Amino acid sequence: MTVRARIRSWLFAVLQRSRVEHDMDAELKFHIQMYAEDLERGGVKQEEALRRAHIEFGAVERMKEECREARGVSLLQSLVQDLRLAARVLRKSPGFTAVAVITLALGIGANAAIFSVVDAILLRPLPYPQPAQLVRLWEDAPSRGYFRNVVNPYNFMDWQDNSKSFQSMAAITGQMTNLSAQGQPIAVAGMQVSPEFFSVLEVPPFLGSTFTSDEGFAGHDQVVILSYGLWQRQFGRNAAIVGQKVDVDGVPHTVIGVMPRGFSFPKMKAEVWTPLPLARTDDWKDGRYLTVVARLKPGVTLEQARQDMLRVGNLTAEARPENNKGWGAEVVPMLEDATQGVRRPLWILLACVGFLLLIACSNVANLLLMRGAGRLREMAVRSALGASRVRLIQQLLVESLLLALAGMAAGLTVAQLGLHSLLALIPQNAPLPRSEPITIDGPVLLFSFFAALLTSIVFGLVPALRLSRVDLQDALKQGSSRGGVGGHQALRRCFVVAEVALALLLSVGAGLMLRSFSRLIAVDPGFRTEHLLTMHIWTSPSHYSDDHKRSAYFERILTEIRNSPGVHAAGSTHFLPLTDSVSRSCFAPGDGPPPTPSESPSSQYLITSPGYFSAMGIPLLKGRDFEARDSFDAPQVAIVNHAFVERYFPEQNVVGKQLWVCWTFKKPVDIIGIAADARQAELQATPEPTIFLSNSQVPMYFATLVVRAEGDPKQIARAAEEAIHRVDPDQAVSDVRSMEDVFSDSVSSPRFEAVLLGVFAALAIALAIIGIYGVVSYSVSQRTNEIGIRMAMGARSPDIARMVLRETLTLAGIALLVGFGSSVALSRVLESLLFEVRPTDALTLLSAGCAIVAVSVLASVLPARRAAKVDPMTALRYE
Amino acid sequence: MDKQLELLQGTLDMLILKAVSLGPLHGYGILLRIQQVSKDRLEIQQGSLYPALYRLEHQGWITSEWGESENNRKAKYYRLTATGKRRLQTETEQWNRMAEVIAGILKTRPEEL
Repeated sequence: MTVRARIRSWLFAVLQRSRVEHDMDAELKFHIQMYAEDLERGGVKQEEALRRAHIEFGAVERMKEECREARGVSLLQSLVQDLRLAARVLRKSPGFTAVAVITLALGIGANAAIFSVVDAILLRPLPYPQPAQLVRLWEDAPSRGYFRNVVNPYNFMDWQDNSKSFQSMAAITGQMTNLSAQGQPIAVAGMQVSPEFFSVLEVPPFLGSTFTSDEGFAGHDQVVILSYGLWQRQFGRNAAIVGQKVDVDGVPHTVIGVMPRGFSFPKMKAEVWTPLPLARTDDWKDGRYLTVVARLKPGVTLEQARQDMLRVGNLTAEARPENNKGWGAEVVPMLEDATQGVRRPLWILLACVGFLLLIACSNVANLLLMRGAGRLREMAVRSALGASRVRLIQQLLVESLLLALAGMAAGLTVAQLGLHSLLALIPQNAPLPRSEPITIDGPVLLFSFFAALLTSIVFGLVPALRLSRVDLQDALKQGSSRGGVGGHQALRRCFVVAEVALALLLSVGAGLMLRSFSRLIAVDPGFRTEHLLTMHIWTSPSHYSDDHKRSAYFERILTEIRNSPGVHAAGSTHFLPLTDSVSRSCFAPGDGPPPTPSESPSSQYLITSPGYFSAMGIPLLKGRDFEARDSFDAPQVAIVNHAFVERYFPEQNVVGKQLWVCWTFKKPVDIIGIAADARQAELQATPEPTIFLSNSQVPMYFATLVVRAEGDPKQIARAAEEAIHRVDPDQAVSDVRSMEDVFSDSVSSPRFEAVLLGVFAALAIALAIIGIYGVVSYSVSQRTNEIGIRMAMGARSPDIARMVLRETLTLAGIALLVGFGSSVALSRVLESLLFEVRPTDALTLLSAGCAIVAVSVLASVLPARRAAKVDPMTALRYE
Repeated sequence: MDKQLELLQGTLDMLILKAVSLGPLHGYGILLRIQQVSKDRLEIQQGSLYPALYRLEHQGWITSEWGESENNRKAKYYRLTATGKRRLQTETEQWNRMAEVIAGILKTRPEEL
């Protein structure tokens, strides 16, 4: 009953606000009139009676306010009232509002942009049903330093047969695929997958069907599934495609399905899926190259799966010790695996924009305090009219909230623009951990809203608490707007110190990243990137399964290219440098017993063509390059690099020695030369010991051609492609890029981090300048009187300017101490992102510090000059 | 005339409930009735009556409706609800008990201890 009555009265009041107000007015007026009439009857004159009735009734407005409070609707109503008032107040001081909103927009916008990236990559679950059940399985050999290694096919089949924790498990190899559509060969990224692949991910096809377990086996593997994008691009969204034949690597395959739009696998691009015909035959015995994904059984924990795989790993090690001794299995949640390597940088970037927002907050808090000094009388009047302190705080906070919301609205525009340029920093064909679009969407909006809400409290609360503490007497008595705000100055200095310290922290971070980045791109990769064109070729197994034929094919296309106009030199390698790809093989000195994968040392190896070193500009230190005489049937030869000699044969002449190499050779090969070291997998890693084998003798199915042009490498791209098609028109060419682009893309993530931190630091410094300027110039205006007295007492202009600068430098000095302290404390966080730069790098710290002092001085030059120009007469008269 | 007594904290609500329990009254009428019954010995600030009325109505103890006053003006009349009646009863009992106890304490003489 009571509750209902309350709700009714509350609802009534909310819904019919004006009526309630009207009733209240009428009721109180009735009372006063009745009383006045009674007084009149007692002999008092009419006017006097009304006056007395009013006085004895008490403050009408105050009573009304108490009545509203008694109804319990005041919070909402007063909120609406406050919002209206706040909007009016903010509109009335457009300069202040603009500065505050822009400051907040930068802070909130930067946060929204970075958060949208963090959300899309780290927070959003993977786009498959029950994504938490998905895991990646790897092999590892911790004792030899191998972690998250791709998997041997036999081991994969053992895992499938013996593990108990998984609903299903699938193996994947990624490769380029030559697809013939309407007679034109196109190279598309493809995946060969074991038939369980789609059922592990639990994604149904958009059209047709996915693989059934039959299709993993010989005779049933001439089927293909297309991506939505490919279907749309090449087949005009023709639904009748299912059942038709498409040439995949020169062999007709039946299209059995089309996957839905946006279907993808983290970090691997694929537009066609074909079955991986795994079987326990010699073909699948050696090497580790499978990517494995599995789905946990419901209720099985990660830890249980790890225990299970530990057991299975032991089984495989016992079954084939020559291959598996020391190797085990690793189970990693798929999301964690996909985002490995980007988590830390992204969280760091988010923390940095968080700092930026804090700086923006303290700036706005300072603005509010500064403006608040001029509003003391307003506060006093309101409080005299019966507004309680809570009410004043509420009103001030509503103003802050309105500012923050305006800042958020503007900030989302900033975020949209920022995100656009931010995504432009990511290379087009980079294998992203997640392929879902990064946009300003629901979660980002929600995040921004809460950021704005929190922000308004952070920057609004302290000023609100301060301003609402009005000393009525003082504020109303003193005509000057400057009364009673002395205490605020100390508070504002604290804010400035905090923001300058944060700006320093960000500058140090940016400085470190920029220095690290400049060190990185200054690294000599060991080859010459200019004038170099690279292109990828994948030979269709149906045409080139014969090693000899394949070897001849590669030789012929290289000859054709070398004969093209504008080409200086050409060669090939199976893995292009700086593309993060590594292949390793075990080896042993040729005079000893043959090596085994589990016992012998292993080294990086590369399959290169004759002319590769000269095309790349990698000098040969000793011996000779592969030549025409090292043909397919000739004695097999190898070249090693300088690091290999240093590590395994120091101070020996290895040219002429023999080497067992596990990859492919059944007997030792002759070492014919030593090449200089060059960076391979990434620019950051020092060159590893490497064995080079000849592509003419052990040709891979794929190769990246490197073509040195006489001029702009992109000019010869067409000619090179035509040369390739002259040899075989069915072979598609893909990834045609200049080596400079490859180089630039390979450092895109450090560049991304350095550029973003640089931008944040620049914004932080800009905000800090505004902050310092505000506080110092306000302090000067407060001290006009004092300055006047000083000048009257004989101080000269330079003394005054120096006094102002001293104040600034004191603030900057404290900020430097705080900032340096915290950057040293936080240095560990950045360490893993830095290349050849220590996080406590003295030069960086020093230059960041100097920059901060310089901008502090810069920010106080104007106020200092204004102070120096104070006319003592005016200043003293002013008071 | 006796000097007016200031109202004890929290007693205004009870007095209002009592006043309207005798029949529907408008705000001014409630004031007059309390003054009449107390023979003008209580000092009530007129305006403070209304927040109390709104509070009591919000709690559901009284209810209001517009009606005609004795001199044909529109006035808001308050009436006791059923819950208000119970409330008044408990408050009265509590008050009486309290007054008794306090009076007992104040009457105590040294020899009685």
